[in-house]
Amino acid sequence: MAALDYREAPPTMRFSATIHALEQAADLNRIENLNIDRVPDPTGLVRALVTPEDCVRLVNQGFEVRLQQAHPVQPLNPELIESDESFKNWFDERMQSVRGFKARKGSKGR
Amino acid sequence: MYRTVAQLDSAMNFLSSFFPALCTRVEMPNRSVQGRRIFALHMHAGSATGRRKVFIVGGLHARELMNPDAIIDLQLDLALAYLNGTGITLGGRSWSATDIKVMLESLDIWMLPCANPDGREYVMTVDDMWRQNRRDNPGMCEGVDVNRNCDFVWGVTTGTTSCDPCMETYLGPGRFSEPESRNIRDLCDMQNIDVFLDVHSFTELVLFPWGHTHTQTTDPTQRFTSLATGTCAPLNPPGHQEYMLPRDQLRFTTVAQTIVNDIRAVRGRNYTPQTSRALYATTGTTSDYVYSRHIANPGLRKTYAFAFETGPPVLNPNGTINVPESFHPADPTLVKRDAKAGMISLMQQSICAIEFIGATFLGLTTGLDSMRKVRDERLATTAAGAEMVALFERVQFPLLGMILVDESLTKEAMGLLDTCVKLLENEETVLTEREVERGLAFVDALVSRAESKELLTDLELVRKQLEGSADKSVRKVLDDLLSTPTRTLTKKKKPTKKPRRKS
Repeated sequence: MAALDYREAPPTMRFSATIHALEQAADLNRIENLNIDRVPDPTGLVRALVTPEDCVRLVNQGFEVRLQQAHPVQPLNPELIESDESFKNWFDERMQSVRGFKARKGSKGR
Repeated sequence: MYRTVAQLDSAMNFLSSFFPALCTRVEMPNRSVQGRRIFALHMHAGSATGRRKVFIVGGLHARELMNPDAIIDLQLDLALAYLNGTGITLGGRSWSATDIKVMLESLDIWMLPCANPDGREYVMTVDDMWRQNRRDNPGMCEGVDVNRNCDFVWGVTTGTTSCDPCMETYLGPGRFSEPESRNIRDLCDMQNIDVFLDVHSFTELVLFPWGHTHTQTTDPTQRFTSLATGTCAPLNPPGHQEYMLPRDQLRFTTVAQTIVNDIRAVRGRNYTPQTSRALYATTGTTSDYVYSRHIANPGLRKTYAFAFETGPPVLNPNGTINVPESFHPADPTLVKRDAKAGMISLMQQSICAIEFIGATFLGLTTGLDSMRKVRDERLATTAAGAEMVALFERVQFPLLGMILVDESLTKEAMGLLDTCVKLLENEETVLTEREVERGLAFVDALVSRAESKELLTDLELVRKQLEGSADKSVRKVLDDLLSTPTRTLTKKKKPTKKPRRKS
């Protein structure tokens, strides 16, 4: 089956989901061969990040998709990104521990 | 907190500017799809020759944000520890100043922390769950999964390798079509890498080949080289199970288990060692490609290739997995610490004490082949022999540290290694009592310096093997190693009292 796509528009939402075969024995091989953005699952479930289009495709293929968490397409929370100033402070602080570092730094005219 | 691409580059730039004798920032041969320059840091100290080469890669999958940061942190940890003559402590696991010195003076370490800078930038500015690079697929969707783009069973689809350009696991229009994956191939070509690591997230795994099928060690006719590739169809034949030399499987499992032990010592996290296939089937990955190179082209050096999946799955209050938070937790400090311990553990295990002493002090280039042959073609073939190989791999790093800081021990190690090489030239040669006594004296000297219980136990096993070797031919000694499990030796003899160290 051709992929259902975001060829016309990129997805705006993804879901963390687990995917299950309805007829377990018959679908064990098929479920291993899905085109999905699979993420590890320590309990051995087939877990993936899926778009709404993925969900439709998977359901049409006879799978059950259990959505667990919606995640809108968005940039990383800016609070998680190191500022240049804090990066510089971190680096300088680590450098302070190097014996003779200041002298070397000075000699380079930094 | 996660660093920007520019900050990651700056850190390496500073390190190479401030400490040029230890760190060199190197631009990779290929710019990213969007034209960004990509940098690695080459770390090494001292002037020893015959070094093993380790190559660590992070950030191939853009959303796995903590690994590039962990690699940068590790670069600083190593540089500062070496320059200050201190060790590195990560929670409950410590490496001494000597350990760090030995690593940097006996290895060439290449670290490419952010292999996919376009992707990282996109995660920070547009889509925090973006996985791929930023390839603009003509008229279609964007992105190629760089870790499906390598020339290893490329074009064979699995549940997590797709020929559809709109899928997150799109393998690209051709083998190594992407500059980000070509950089890995090119560095392996240029540097003859011995050990490779690709750091991913998450689930706390230490992975090793194979990833496309389950691994077997009994049927050498089942090789990937005979599989049809580029088909955009599943693996054919479907029941194919990839062969691996028993020696390689032993090496992978031994090294992975030690990495797991070292990570556990930090704060008790239990990483699992397993083949990549045990996670799920993949093709075109970096680690399978890098390990497969010497099989596809026997003229190339064998590279032992690993992958980490760092960090635990983070759970929501209702018990389900919070995937975004698992890929980039609000505070990755502890996960990064575990990852660094795993990376140092791998570096440590990349050192071959015999090869280092042989090449650096004795100038041996071909003389060690006979020893490798014994290890790979004889010892690795029986359970008892494999135990001895594993024992040697456990003890070699701490022993090398002891030997290199003591001139008399270094000299004696050189002499014994020279003797071993000569003995292996003719397996009918009989070991003299004097040669055995010399070996025992060396073991005693090491015992007198050893601190850990495990090391003392292992040295005791070596001593026991050596004790019965006088007046036996080399062949007989090897046969004994192949047939006597080290466990039996343990039961036979009480540990000897630790000799008093000479003042």
